[in-house]
Amino acid sequence: MTLRLLARAGVRDSMRAYWFWLNAAIFVAGGLLLMLFGQVDVFLLGYRSYGRALAGLMQLALFVVPLMSLLSSAAAIAGARETGALEYLLAQPVTRREVFAGKWLGVAAAVVASIVVGYGATGAVAAAKGVPGLPIAVLLLFTVILSAAFVSLGLWVSAVASTRARATSVVFTLWLVFLALGSLGLMSAFVRWGLPARLLQVWSLVNPIESFRLGMIAMLEPDASLLGPAGAALIGALGRQGLIAAASGSLAAWALLGYLAGRRAFTAAA
Amino acid sequence: MIEARGLGKRYGEHTVLAGLDFHVGRGERVALLGLNGAGKTTLFRCLLALTGFDGNLRVDGEPVTPGCKDIRRKIGYVPQAAPLYDMTLSEFVAFFAGLRGVGIAGPAAILADLGMPLERTGAKALAELSGGMVQKTLLALALGSGSPLLLLDEPTANLDPGARRDFFRTLRELASDATLLFASHRLDEIELLATRVLVLHEGRLAFDGTLNGLWRTTEARPRLWLGVPDGEIGSVTAALETCPSVSALRPDGAGLEVDVVGETTLDVLLTVREQGLPVVEFRARPPSLEHVLARLQTDGPAEPATEERE
Repeated sequence: MTLRLLARAGVRDSMRAYWFWLNAAIFVAGGLLLMLFGQVDVFLLGYRSYGRALAGLMQLALFVVPLMSLLSSAAAIAGARETGALEYLLAQPVTRREVFAGKWLGVAAAVVASIVVGYGATGAVAAAKGVPGLPIAVLLLFTVILSAAFVSLGLWVSAVASTRARATSVVFTLWLVFLALGSLGLMSAFVRWGLPARLLQVWSLVNPIESFRLGMIAMLEPDASLLGPAGAALIGALGRQGLIAAASGSLAAWALLGYLAGRRAFTAAA
Repeated sequence: MIEARGLGKRYGEHTVLAGLDFHVGRGERVALLGLNGAGKTTLFRCLLALTGFDGNLRVDGEPVTPGCKDIRRKIGYVPQAAPLYDMTLSEFVAFFAGLRGVGIAGPAAILADLGMPLERTGAKALAELSGGMVQKTLLALALGSGSPLLLLDEPTANLDPGARRDFFRTLRELASDATLLFASHRLDEIELLATRVLVLHEGRLAFDGTLNGLWRTTEARPRLWLGVPDGEIGSVTAALETCPSVSALRPDGAGLEVDVVGETTLDVLLTVREQGLPVVEFRARPPSLEHVLARLQTDGPAEPATEERE
């Protein structure tokens, strides 16, 4: 009952924020554009390939979902602390664990809702054009896990940060670091300093954005040229199923460990 | 209702509460007095199990365990600053009544009594309501959940005089049976509501007794404010400076504030009348908090001054 109330309030808070509608709009518009124009080869070249559209959707999710998950969760606790809302909430018969769980559920539900709205519209257009639904469903599922990982991370930061502004700047930096230190971005550093290739492969699985990218490509179109050097080495070592499992496991671990670390920080604040 | 034994709280090297011992009986209305940083809010946080502490603390017979939520069912809390929630009034009331495990009916009935029926005001965003309306809502939630203990942490600090008067009138009418512990800087509020006063000074209990007892202990006397027309301040000041019942006086707004010696307030007024001074209005004011605390600090006993309860 308590958790449901807290989660519902969290959803309502998130859905009243402009970012929710902005992200849903970006998803709908971006997804539709990609689905409509990503298939230009169907008409020009006379063969049916949806890889480009799906890769575009994946790229869209890869940039937008971590950022919106981080920004919304970063505000959830630090923002409430600043306005006095958290102190009043905690003075009620609720535990800090319940509050943290409620915040997580509320933010995650709102983010997932905006993802579903975006992919739903895209899926409808894709279905009308005869594109099989399974790849989009897989993309949706993986994107949901990705968002869970970043909601956990964002709430962890929010539990620790003293102000909303500080939490926002930290999560924005995290997003940039994870994006910049992707497989290709990191390659030059590894070549420059002669670091072992194994380290690059491990980092590719540890970085949740890179994990998402590798897992998605392995699921939809396991092409070495798309996977990149670390991904290609990983699929060689782990196999396609192994890479998918490792990438999914990495994202799930981020979601779980981020949640536990954030909850610990939040309860320790008492 | 509240029993504290050796209640202490430290933040690093800084001692906020230094071994408080006090007891608040059921139905008592106790004012918690002290300057900023005296430890009032920390004491509330301890009672609400929001923070860890040393010593023993019990509410309604139950030990307070930091982080344990059950004790909060016994406590209705009204904070100093209205919490900012992006909700309508109805959503806000339903949310917090739900968290407290009570229906919306209790708080809604109290809000209706306060001239804020949810049918009329429920659709308004919380941010659209005045500070007084939000504090009344928090009070309705605290009272409507049937908690036997009310904690009010300077609940009217951000309200204008009218809203402050309304809030305390409401509190007096609706919380007649509840045990009340409220923090305030305003001696007039305390005079209106409290049956007993606890004075916190630098984390220590500097006084425990009635308000009159506090006046006696600190030799604090009420002050007089005299309304004087423009241009007459100088002549009235000169006349009252010779009055033996006046220890000090100073201009204050459209008049003079007079510190009275002993219990001789009437003597000052008689002097005004006998000398035909151009005083158009007078008001009695409680002693200043600064004076009371300064006396407790400089002259007060090492042990908290206590007196026989009334």
